[in-house]
Amino acid sequence: MYGENYLLNVFVTPVGSPTWGACFLMCSKSSVADGVGGWRDYGVDPSQFSATLMRTCERLVKEGRFTPSSPVGILTSGYYELLQNKVPLLGSSTACIVVLDRRSHQLHTCNLGDSGFLVVRGGEVVHRSDEQQHYFNTPFQLSIAPPGAEGVVLSDSPEAADSASFDVQLGDIILTASDGLFDNMPDYMILQELKKLKSANYDSIQQTAQSIAKQAHELAYDPNYMSPFAQFACDNGLNVRGGKPDDITVLLSIVAEYTD
Amino acid sequence: MLTLLSMFYYICLRRRSRSGTRGEALSSRRAVESGQRATLPISVEVEQYAKEVLDFSSHYGSENSMSYTMWNLAGMPNVYPSSGDFTQTAVFRAYGTWWEQCASAPLPFRRTPKAFHSQDYIELAFEEPVYPTAVEVLETYHPGAIVQIMACSLNPFSQNPPTDIRWEVLWAEEPTKVLTPQARQFSPSIKQLSFPTNLIRVEVNSSLLKYYTELDAVVLRGQKDRPILSLYKMPRIDICDLSDSDEDLSDPGHINLGNGYFDKLPYELIQLIVSHLTLPDLCRLTQTCKLLHQHCCDPLQYIQLSLQPYWARLSDTSLGHLQGRCTLLQRLNLSWTGNRGALTLTGFSSFMNACGGSLVCLELSCCHFLSEPCLEVISQTCPGLQELNLSSCDRLHPQAFTHISKLTQLRRLVLYRTKIEQTAMLSILTFCIELRHLNLGSCVMIEDYDVVASMLAVRCRSLRSLDLWRCRNLTERGLAELAAGCRLLEELDLGWCSTLQSSSGCFQHLARNLPCLRKLFLTANRTVCDSDIEELAANCPALQHLDILGTRMVSSSSLRKLLQACPKLLLLDVSFCSQVDARIVQELCGLFPNVAIKKSFTQ
Repeated sequence: MYGENYLLNVFVTPVGSPTWGACFLMCSKSSVADGVGGWRDYGVDPSQFSATLMRTCERLVKEGRFTPSSPVGILTSGYYELLQNKVPLLGSSTACIVVLDRRSHQLHTCNLGDSGFLVVRGGEVVHRSDEQQHYFNTPFQLSIAPPGAEGVVLSDSPEAADSASFDVQLGDIILTASDGLFDNMPDYMILQELKKLKSANYDSIQQTAQSIAKQAHELAYDPNYMSPFAQFACDNGLNVRGGKPDDITVLLSIVAEYTD
Repeated sequence: MLTLLSMFYYICLRRRSRSGTRGEALSSRRAVESGQRATLPISVEVEQYAKEVLDFSSHYGSENSMSYTMWNLAGMPNVYPSSGDFTQTAVFRAYGTWWEQCASAPLPFRRTPKAFHSQDYIELAFEEPVYPTAVEVLETYHPGAIVQIMACSLNPFSQNPPTDIRWEVLWAEEPTKVLTPQARQFSPSIKQLSFPTNLIRVEVNSSLLKYYTELDAVVLRGQKDRPILSLYKMPRIDICDLSDSDEDLSDPGHINLGNGYFDKLPYELIQLIVSHLTLPDLCRLTQTCKLLHQHCCDPLQYIQLSLQPYWARLSDTSLGHLQGRCTLLQRLNLSWTGNRGALTLTGFSSFMNACGGSLVCLELSCCHFLSEPCLEVISQTCPGLQELNLSSCDRLHPQAFTHISKLTQLRRLVLYRTKIEQTAMLSILTFCIELRHLNLGSCVMIEDYDVVASMLAVRCRSLRSLDLWRCRNLTERGLAELAAGCRLLEELDLGWCSTLQSSSGCFQHLARNLPCLRKLFLTANRTVCDSDIEELAANCPALQHLDILGTRMVSSSSLRKLLQACPKLLLLDVSFCSQVDARIVQELCGLFPNVAIKKSFTQ
């Protein structure tokens, strides 16, 4: 993980428990998309919002207050709970939630903004999330705006999140990452790195995740490299080249048989 | 026989333990001796957190939320040992005496026993029934509210609940002041119980607290097996035991020995003496002689009747016994009674039919036995009813509330945390035009509060207090109509009404139109700003209670103006107002010593 913008948590329920399986939450602090300035201009610490959102979603998951097949519910409830806090929270955040239901062998996902996930099977991407942007470099985001700035600050409802559910098989690799990864590394490079993953043990997964993040980080600072971000910018009429320095967080997991 | 044996073992063991300090030479002999005696089973002590919250009287949070709600008391602690105002704790709706000072508060009932202090309660179920050895409450903010802990013989998870349910008091004490707001582990020494329990009830009184108390978890420690070593103690006769066995002294063969000096006292004087007795004593005195029986059953002694302190033992039979004496009843408090089958429609209807005729005030807070037919009975038997409290009757079907519109004399109506719906509400407002005090806090089923406000403005022009705590969709339109129609409004609670925006001018408009305003809660309305405070200062000199928790837009200068302009101000809550820090609060406290300025904290 490079940078401190992203917070993520992983929950796994014990085998034999009647509930779901694993849940990955990723909330990133986002900048105010008003063209004026960042959250600090409003006197707001931008990390408090996403940190509290993450903690709230974490609590919801730990207490079982969600439906595994509908992770958008976690987002909706989490956002609602933020508004119930006595502390006047301000800020914004994207979010990506992935829930693995071990009984139905299904992956339930929900994505709001420009974080995302990939599901890789047999060296090919079989599922990927769609990046949600309003316009260039302006992702969908949950936010609580200062009074008076509601018209200016972008605020998407949790229901605007993209939800998708699909089957997964043993051996599937699930990669969840912040936009820093996808902006700097195209899919084929990510797949190349994933091919190096030989076994499903914790250390090799950890190593692979780190090498992906490291590579993306290096590419981000390469001024001549035609990154996916630069490509997208050119498509939008901006003559840009090079990587996009950004916080990079990568979460890698494999659907495996549980061995004691 | 068993008791004697246990005593014998107990005495033997005590003797042995006393001689334990003798030399090693004796130890082998002792070992042989002990081998010949039966070994006593070691009882396993079990420690449990609450599994489920079953019932409670109020809470600060929203009905579908996990922030500041009573459900947080189940499970492991989230905050302890930290201190502070956290969302993950259980918080009750009120604290201190602020709510009692309001005009909307009910008058206290006569004959309330001195030992009864409880204002709120919560009932918790644990996984396994045990013989309790300790009950620990983890309090994380402004501790000291707990006044009573009780245990029930019923297992709430059992499939076949028994018919007789016993509640025993494990510990009780009057409220005491705790000086610091810091977290503490509260573990009073509890009475020994003769039955196993997994249902614990905690009762609180927050009147001495400086701010909301917050509870994090409750631990129940106990043994699974009945402790053998303890001597079985006879339960002491509980002063709250309402005698069920008061029968008429109708034996004609009884020789009249005279009543001594009582025969010389005028009737009214004996009535006055007897009016100071608590209800159980009154019932017991009935059985002493014919004269006192006559006095104690005189309906003049039952103009006010509060059965709330005796909720644990009240049944249909008790009501049946009291029925005959309550024909002049004006004020009746049945709050907290009747749950788990103790009171039924039959018993309640019978009582209301006999005694509802002159009833003026009826308190039915947390009465889960109530059903739609019960409300129908009330509407038929109490035509003169002026006060009705159905606070936290959340199991009452929405259809039941339609009967309330028949009570056209209603002046005070409390529907906090009920499931009343829009149509029934509008119907009530159409017919109950005498309403002075209306509480619709946390009534989540009402769809459009603007329409309700509009109806109030048209029909209930005598309204003095209105509680719209957490009403989710009141806008400036509704508020404007309310201010225009209900000019006599003194108390207005708009806490957590997030749809009100200061930029619409609604708060300024309110201040200008309600000069009698004494209480205004704008809790967690993030848009309250300096202009609103200045307008209040200019127009509402009678202001006593103001809560502006959680706004970033109010500065100390407007607060100073307010404090200077409102000499009667007693309570000002500026918690989580980012421009008002602790230093400013301290300064203002020094300048205005009569005002309690509240500033909550999270760490």
